[in-house]
Amino acid sequence: MKPSRVPAVIWMSGLLAALLVFPLVQRSQYYQHVMVMTMMAAVLASSWNIIGGYAGYTSLGHAAFFGLGGYLVALAHNHFGWHPFISTWFLGIVVMGVALILGWISLRTHGSAFVVVTIAMVFIFRIVALNLASITNGARGLTQPRPGWGGVPWSPELIKIPFHYIMLALLCLTVFASWRVRQSKFGLGLIAIREDEGKAEAVGIDTMLYKVLAFGLSAYFVGVAGGIYSYFFTYIDPQFIFDIFTGVTMVLIAILGGRGTLWGPVLGAFIMEPLGNWVIGVFGGTQIHLAVFGGILLAVMLFMPQGILPALTEFVKRRAKAPAAGRRSQSA
Amino acid sequence: MLLVENITKAFGGIRAVDSCSMGVERGSITGLIGPNGSGKTTLFNLITGFYQPDVGRIHFNDKPIHGLPPSRICHQGIGRTFQITRLFWKMTVLENMIVPVRQVGWRTLFSRGVKKHEEARALELLNLVGLTGYQDEEARKLSFGQQKLLEFAAVLMADPDLILLDEPAGGVNPVMIEKIIGLVEDLNRQGKTFLVVEHNMRLVMELCQHIVVLDHGQKIAEGKPATIQNDLLVLEAYLGSTNHADASA
Repeated sequence: MKPSRVPAVIWMSGLLAALLVFPLVQRSQYYQHVMVMTMMAAVLASSWNIIGGYAGYTSLGHAAFFGLGGYLVALAHNHFGWHPFISTWFLGIVVMGVALILGWISLRTHGSAFVVVTIAMVFIFRIVALNLASITNGARGLTQPRPGWGGVPWSPELIKIPFHYIMLALLCLTVFASWRVRQSKFGLGLIAIREDEGKAEAVGIDTMLYKVLAFGLSAYFVGVAGGIYSYFFTYIDPQFIFDIFTGVTMVLIAILGGRGTLWGPVLGAFIMEPLGNWVIGVFGGTQIHLAVFGGILLAVMLFMPQGILPALTEFVKRRAKAPAAGRRSQSA
Repeated sequence: MLLVENITKAFGGIRAVDSCSMGVERGSITGLIGPNGSGKTTLFNLITGFYQPDVGRIHFNDKPIHGLPPSRICHQGIGRTFQITRLFWKMTVLENMIVPVRQVGWRTLFSRGVKKHEEARALELLNLVGLTGYQDEEARKLSFGQQKLLEFAAVLMADPDLILLDEPAGGVNPVMIEKIIGLVEDLNRQGKTFLVVEHNMRLVMELCQHIVVLDHGQKIAEGKPATIQNDLLVLEAYLGSTNHADASA
């Protein structure tokens, strides 16, 4: 870990710089759109990774928090005129509060029972959104005014750019939070829970507290992303935003890139999201992109069961070791 | 120091622990023996909060601990090992040592995972059990005996007053058994109290100052090793018959 610290700073600054200049260099609205969605996928997968990767609790229900964030932001915008770019950060805290309560209930279950409970959460949220029509407008969904600032809409040519930067900010925050968790006593405890929850409890880890906090934290960034998303599309409806597939996608991306690693979910998102969009571009609005997604996941599971990033790290380590050993034998 | 009062735990129709009372004196090494299935491990699990008793009370340092979750009981100062060694297999030896470090308050939760002074203490304890140089290995790569030692050393990281050892010598070679005996005696001299479940009678008789014998979930005898060795009930529980004893009586 230590010798790679300097290169890590270099490639991270490089990545950040590339993402900062991207919308200035790449003027295509289509690519700008794909980049926003890619960064969002990275946010969702990284955030999910805190409970799903570090603590090992596979939640398929994070779409519930994504949708809740979207609805709260849309409602606050329409009723109180709160600008989504500001309100989403605070309303994310409300989403986190809801997640803390739901986590406190659902994290009593383990393994597949937990997965089923989290799936149920998405359906409960969807049913509520559909039937609470006086607030949510039911199946017709919610529309927001065209994105802009201070009553002036952004010009259609530049409209993706503010979203690019706010999503980039959210991505940085999410990865930073994930890194802080990973480095801390909290993160160490979460990994201990993943390895052997009973043992963790026996050595003094308050497993319930750790799990609930991780669940709440991982819901925060997902909720904030949902808020930005609802403004990005200016339209949400229950079927669309409380979608099991949203929850499944972030899980698959995290697993693909490397579950439980810091950068794996980001890597997974930067592979899968552009690829998915490309396949849709080539084959049109078919279901082929799902088949491609499934095929890639299958291949990764077969050949690098830990995910892409851990497999790559292992490969690089081995390569680095081999020439070093060679050099030593030469000098001897 | 530890007081178990009239405790009962049933699984279905079987009373694994049945109206059992016992105590552990501060500064002692107390042995808990009995045939297989006599309720020793169940009693351990009751003391450490893994099971909740159906009836009865458990006090530690005059405070009730029954009903508390295992992590809280650990914070009160009771550490334990498991009959079948349990470690965080894919974490390093050092991380296995650091996880049990006791944390207080919210601030420490988000503080650095492995701190310098914790690492120093962990290395010291690893040295004590003879695992120097293994700190960066994954726990699963250690040998069986080393894993037992690591589990023991990790328990010490939380600095418990009372340590519950569940078959510390199970499946361990004689040299390692001597080492474990030495460690427990040293720590006992430094003030740690032990409650030991063990089948190796030589170890129990050598190590323990006080012995409690369980059979079918009930305490059938208690006393000094010499007394226990000659107790008829104990012989019956282990050997299954008193005919011979009756005949000679």
